[in-house]
Amino acid sequence: MRNAECGMRNKNPKSEISPSQRLFRAGGRNPKSTRGQRIVITGLGMVSAIGVGREAFWESCLLGTSGIKPVQRFDVSSYRSKLGGQLPEIDFKTFIKPANLRRMDRIGKIMVSAVRLALDDSGLDLGKEDPNRMGISIGTGLGSSDTVDQFFRSILREGPVGAQPLLFQTAVPNAITSHCAIEYGIKGINITFSHKETSTEMAMVYAYHLLKEGRAEVILAGGGDELSEPLHHVYSMLGALSPGRGKGMEGMRPFDRERNGIVLGEGSGIIVLETLEHAEKRGAGIYAEMAGVGLSGSTDGVLRYDLNGDSIARAMSMAAEEPAGVNYISAAANSTPELDRAEASAIRKAFGERTKEIFVSSLKSMIGEFDGSGGIRACGLALSLYHGMIPPTIGTDHLDPQCDLNVVLGQSIKKEIRSALLNSCSNGGSNISVWFKRYA
Amino acid sequence: MERSHFHQDKTKDQMRKRVVVTGLGVVSAVGNSVPEFWNSLIEGKDGTKEITAFDASPYRTKKAAEVSGLNSQTHFSGRELRRLSRCDQFGLVAFREAWRSAHLDKDLIDKERAGIILGAGSGGILSVEKYFRDFYQGKGRPSPSLLVSYSLATTTDLIAMESGLKGPRTTTATVCSSSSASIGVAYDLIQMGLADVMVTGGSDSLCEVSYSGFSSLKLVDPEGCRPFDKRRQGLVIGEGAGILILEELEHALRRDALIHAEFLGYGICADAYHLTAPEPNGEGVERVIRTALNHAGVSPEEVDTINAHGTATPFNDIAETRGIRRVFGERAKAIPISGIKSMVGHCLGSAGGIEAVATVLTIKNGVIPPTIHYEVPDPHCDLNYTPNHSIKRDVRVALSNSFAFGGNNCCLVFGKYISNAECGVRNAE
Repeated sequence: MRNAECGMRNKNPKSEISPSQRLFRAGGRNPKSTRGQRIVITGLGMVSAIGVGREAFWESCLLGTSGIKPVQRFDVSSYRSKLGGQLPEIDFKTFIKPANLRRMDRIGKIMVSAVRLALDDSGLDLGKEDPNRMGISIGTGLGSSDTVDQFFRSILREGPVGAQPLLFQTAVPNAITSHCAIEYGIKGINITFSHKETSTEMAMVYAYHLLKEGRAEVILAGGGDELSEPLHHVYSMLGALSPGRGKGMEGMRPFDRERNGIVLGEGSGIIVLETLEHAEKRGAGIYAEMAGVGLSGSTDGVLRYDLNGDSIARAMSMAAEEPAGVNYISAAANSTPELDRAEASAIRKAFGERTKEIFVSSLKSMIGEFDGSGGIRACGLALSLYHGMIPPTIGTDHLDPQCDLNVVLGQSIKKEIRSALLNSCSNGGSNISVWFKRYA
Repeated sequence: MERSHFHQDKTKDQMRKRVVVTGLGVVSAVGNSVPEFWNSLIEGKDGTKEITAFDASPYRTKKAAEVSGLNSQTHFSGRELRRLSRCDQFGLVAFREAWRSAHLDKDLIDKERAGIILGAGSGGILSVEKYFRDFYQGKGRPSPSLLVSYSLATTTDLIAMESGLKGPRTTTATVCSSSSASIGVAYDLIQMGLADVMVTGGSDSLCEVSYSGFSSLKLVDPEGCRPFDKRRQGLVIGEGAGILILEELEHALRRDALIHAEFLGYGICADAYHLTAPEPNGEGVERVIRTALNHAGVSPEEVDTINAHGTATPFNDIAETRGIRRVFGERAKAIPISGIKSMVGHCLGSAGGIEAVATVLTIKNGVIPPTIHYEVPDPHCDLNYTPNHSIKRDVRVALSNSFAFGGNNCCLVFGKYISNAECGVRNAE
């Protein structure tokens, strides 16, 4: 029986210690998760509007290439916003086994291609790996919003007889993850997250924890999404899309004082995460180390970001166990008035006087915003740590005085990065920060 | 009661936190509160009825395990009802029951260390369908607020708004195994030291996309859901929400919470076989059960009951039976198995949550719910499925299986809660 007057009832547990200290103390009781394996990134695969594959993607990043153009995949003439970060034409046959290719919809192909690129890049020999100790953890908005829409339209048109079983089996959000598992016979962990803009980061957080605990040796983590008319319609009706701007067309301009909403993008990015022990045993090249995670929530509204930035700051300070080493933040800023301001305020709260020393950039300026963007952004961050280069935030001309951060504008800069944060924030208020370190 | 190995392991293993279930809430076709739901299950009540959530007249089968008698007006204001999808409503009602029953509405807890992770299936797609039906057919101007449900995360976010939870928040989307997976991930978020309390489980509602989809795959049984019976033809779609409060043991003890059961561990694996069909020999099922037992530190001998995935599709039930046999050998026949989808239907995104609630209640009450409509044995399904009548049985450890399209398998392990002191005494014996 519970005793309402029990003297043992918790005093206000919100004591003097900071969230990161609290996390550290919790971790101290849980040596598996802090003193366990080091986790490293050994492969990168990306299918993005600014390049397919590591080299093409990185070259575009450093040049500050915009992947945003008028949408051609569907008719946007009736929408105020006509822009999208659309993928180039891709010959998926070069990436995917023909027998499986037939069963995949477009987003399935995009995902499996990114997995293929990541596996190739990592040099993993699947013949030598235990398939039960390999896993896949994916984040996506809706998987195939386009397939769901086609399926729904055909039942609207024809009634129940219009329902096409082949469409339905790829319409579920986890179909993209299943495609990847089937293509490569990966039999360990298999999970799909869908929580708006933090979907992919959650997939990485989960993979990180499983590897730390020794429950897998290699996990492909990341995610993706595709542009589709229903998605464009929904975002448009909810008033989230940027109409672009007269001559330049580019709608994305994170932290700019004239920013006015997002441009949807598409693509997928996968990082190969593995335990250091496993990576060393097979002599793998290492891009970076994944070293910490922070998760928090805010409650300002179902379509609102964390308005004052407190929760975002909490996620960052949880993730970065050595905040003094952080000198780059790959920002979540997505060109919405609300989020960019909140994130700027969060960075000031988390880093105080050091704020000006920390370089900030938003890859979303080049690829657009989408729920599964974190995979591509994580690839970008790993390359920044590896090469000591920071890509610019493009489209941004005049920083909003409320976002007075050290934003990398115009062109990429050379800078050795000790450690960096990948921020993600969803409307509705889920915030995830992932801490990456230069591998040494 | 026999001495249990896992409690010994747990006291030695100082590295892992113990996680217990301190709150339960449910909305289902057979009851919109935990007591009502549980009574229906042990009485073997079938929740299948004519569909009213959407116009099912064009369909060959018009039945589903639909939630009825929820009386939304008593739970929500008119303004709330206009913006909440059916899925959101189920989730909120079940959440409130779980939250209150755990006394978390009264106890002062650190909201920054309380998070939420739900599993989603079709989520609020019923609302989105409503919007796009009008939009594509050019009928008036549908309300954009229906589109808020476009994201599978909406129910999760709404519950966080209502309760002010500022801890970790996310949503799993593996459909038929979503909410089982969410419970596993919730456990791990507590292990990571990121939260003391996690709201978990899932909510899902009927919608035309999933109904017509399963119909098109010829997986819906017009005669009702008859798991493991030879005459079975497929599933009956259900809906509802099953919410659990997982809490770190020390935190629960400090606030003197009522403990229903302990969550011991779980496994998630892939068949890597086919987009819709299960791996036929039960090899994938075997692997996920073994992974779960291993993670929980439980030996197969300790398992006293299994809440089966039991969708009543011809292939699933055979594969599941074979998998259970592969793990438990001859003892498999002695383990009572429940197929509660025969009563609550296949609730897709909330199936795992609702079945986890049933599994916890099985342990707590020492009663194993039946598989109803079981009459004709199938030679391929030759285990003890607890046919038609519940049985009394002291349960130490219970499994709950959930398998999804694409071979995304999940198995949860719950156990009777035994205090550290009792474990110590037993170990010393």
